[in-house]
Amino acid sequence: MSPTVVSDTAASDTAVHEPAAAVHTRRELLESALALLGVAAVSGFAATRALANEARSSTTWRYFSSGEAATIDALVAQIIPSDDTPGAREMGVARFIDHALADFMAPLAPALRLGLAEFEVTCRAQHAGAEGFATLSSEQQIAWLQQVEHTPFFNSVQQLTVLGALSMPDYGGNHNGLGWQLIGFEDLHAFTPPFGYYDRDYPGFDAAAGKS
Amino acid sequence: MSAVRYRDSTVVDFVVVGSGAAGGVLARELSTSGFSTVVLEQGARLTPADFEHDELKYWFLGGITNNDGRSPQTFRSDPEATAKPTGMRPALWYARTVGGSSTHFTANYWRFHEIDFIERSKLGAIAGTGFEDWPITYAELEPYYSKVEWDIGVSGLAGASPFDPPRSRPYPMPPLPVKSSGVLFERGARKLGLHPFPAPMAINSKAYRGRPACINCGFCHGFACEAQAKSSTLFNMIPEAEATGRCEVRAYSYVVRVDTDARGRATGVAYLDRAGREHFQKARAVVLAANGAETPRLLLGSASSRFPDGLANSSGLVGKYLMMNYSARVSAVFEHELNEYKSVQVTRVIHDFYDADPRRGFYGGGGLDARIGPQPAMWAQRLGQEGPSWGAAFKARLREFPRNMIVLGHGTSLPVATNAVSLDPTVKDAWGRPALRVTYKDHPDDLANARFMQDRALEIMEAAGAQRVTRAPVNEQNFGMHLLGTCRMGNDARSSVVDRYHRTHDVPNLFLCDGSSLVTSGRGQPTMTIQALAFRAADHIARFARAGEI
Repeated sequence: MSPTVVSDTAASDTAVHEPAAAVHTRRELLESALALLGVAAVSGFAATRALANEARSSTTWRYFSSGEAATIDALVAQIIPSDDTPGAREMGVARFIDHALADFMAPLAPALRLGLAEFEVTCRAQHAGAEGFATLSSEQQIAWLQQVEHTPFFNSVQQLTVLGALSMPDYGGNHNGLGWQLIGFEDLHAFTPPFGYYDRDYPGFDAAAGKS
Repeated sequence: MSAVRYRDSTVVDFVVVGSGAAGGVLARELSTSGFSTVVLEQGARLTPADFEHDELKYWFLGGITNNDGRSPQTFRSDPEATAKPTGMRPALWYARTVGGSSTHFTANYWRFHEIDFIERSKLGAIAGTGFEDWPITYAELEPYYSKVEWDIGVSGLAGASPFDPPRSRPYPMPPLPVKSSGVLFERGARKLGLHPFPAPMAINSKAYRGRPACINCGFCHGFACEAQAKSSTLFNMIPEAEATGRCEVRAYSYVVRVDTDARGRATGVAYLDRAGREHFQKARAVVLAANGAETPRLLLGSASSRFPDGLANSSGLVGKYLMMNYSARVSAVFEHELNEYKSVQVTRVIHDFYDADPRRGFYGGGGLDARIGPQPAMWAQRLGQEGPSWGAAFKARLREFPRNMIVLGHGTSLPVATNAVSLDPTVKDAWGRPALRVTYKDHPDDLANARFMQDRALEIMEAAGAQRVTRAPVNEQNFGMHLLGTCRMGNDARSSVVDRYHRTHDVPNLFLCDGSSLVTSGRGQPTMTIQALAFRAADHIARFARAGEI
């Protein structure tokens, strides 16, 4: 089998592993973040998590209005859809985002709210009579997202969705480890070899094997 | 914890600024040599119980690294432009905690090669750069590389790479267990006639010097090791220094100034405690090991009427020649699961392309390694930038996680004078000190070399039978974690900041030893060399102190 070589053209950076890589790709998000950065890094992680756990079982939203929450919930459900396996909805991603914006990602919140409003306005303008993105059929939602998938707002929600799906459940998302389950990550404290398929029958390192 | 406590007013033999890879070694070596030593660390002192598998905290919320709210940075690629605040993602990333970035490093510990120290003589000058030979050779540093391997604790296999420089001792521990990424990388590389070898890692493959063997939890890079199997100075050098009864490690001590007397000698350092109160620790000699960003920042911030351009800066080179190395990446997906999230990040390396080759048409060389791609949240963030980012197609890609690995091509950075850390003229940190300003633009050869290394990585993954290989774009860097070259060593006071013994040319009792001392960048993985330099520097500094020559 010959491999597919993909040359990706995304304007991402090339550093090895980048922190907070692109949560705030949008200029406004970045500028907003700059204005408020004192709260960007959490001072008490334990308190943050305790609040997250409360938020998970709460019936009220900490940051979003119920209308905003409905849009975000529909959006994240299209980013990681539920099918025969759980998606972002079952993983509690919308709750995670709500909590993040109210707490450890508060600097991003105002710009995200603006982006969300703009998203809804343009969506309704394109769908006469619709009450909002959340009320569209799934097919309509997908068709609309194909038009806006490269916007900074969508990008930000996409990245928050990933964090909500795969961060420690203590932060309110990745409910019951469903995100980790989806990708096949075992949350264990320690492992023993062999770790994967290809190292099972490794005969041992032989420096001479490479010499010809 | 520290058994001994010194008063600020006590004139200790040495004050060491920074407790990381270099500072930890210097503290241990100077205190075991009989000198009273105070180590000042701006960050907290954490214990293994504080360290968790928390990606959000460590990678996205600045858990132990730069907190933008308190320590902002600015960045520009054009030295004429006004630098802009970086926001939550800093330009230079390092850990602020006792143990420094040795707490959260990947622990790749290959040695520099003989050529790294004499490359300018071999290849000639490179226009527009400060490309120079080192004032020391590999042979002079070799005993200290061995000391790092045995005192810090490095796993590896001597003689496994035909490109390895000479060594006086084998590794103290065998290599760590190979991972699937290592097996595939080895398979692909050998098909191409290359020479893969077990990665030298500063992680215990067996119980060693009171610390346990690695439990293969997988959370090394960006995380601190709760098993204490990673050879961070927090777990070896720092406690050994404290055990002498002569060394005090003071956390939450942010050094803001090195003061000098009428004769131009350092008298000690001013620092702020956790409450922001200023103290002054007196010392007979000052050793800065605060890393390649903070050491020059501190010198520039210590300007006085006698030293108007910053302390020890008669050459004008303090902060200049910043080098970050370049890591070009490909990711690959295979048919079966690799489960790279388990165990250490790297198990196989090649050095076939280490040396520069003028026939390539550019200066540069590097090493390639096979590794995890990384842990889930960071991996998935990147995934959406490299292909479908939502919907059923994205979900299908997410499920490839266990079948994914990456290869990194670690390469050279040329020393360019305009690449620098300096003091931002307007932005201040939470203590009112000028923020760190970073100016960086990769030399065209660095980018050409990165593309070359990426091509080699891609060939290896294809030869290994990958189903799909994806290149990460090779763009100019605005983010780095190797902080090198900013107070370079040299014999000539006009073209270097410290001499071959890490003593500043300008202030006889002020020494600098960390990534800032490097003259050239190596090919990535600088910590091993930084620590070898620290062991060597400590030997000489102790010798000078005993002889009354400080």
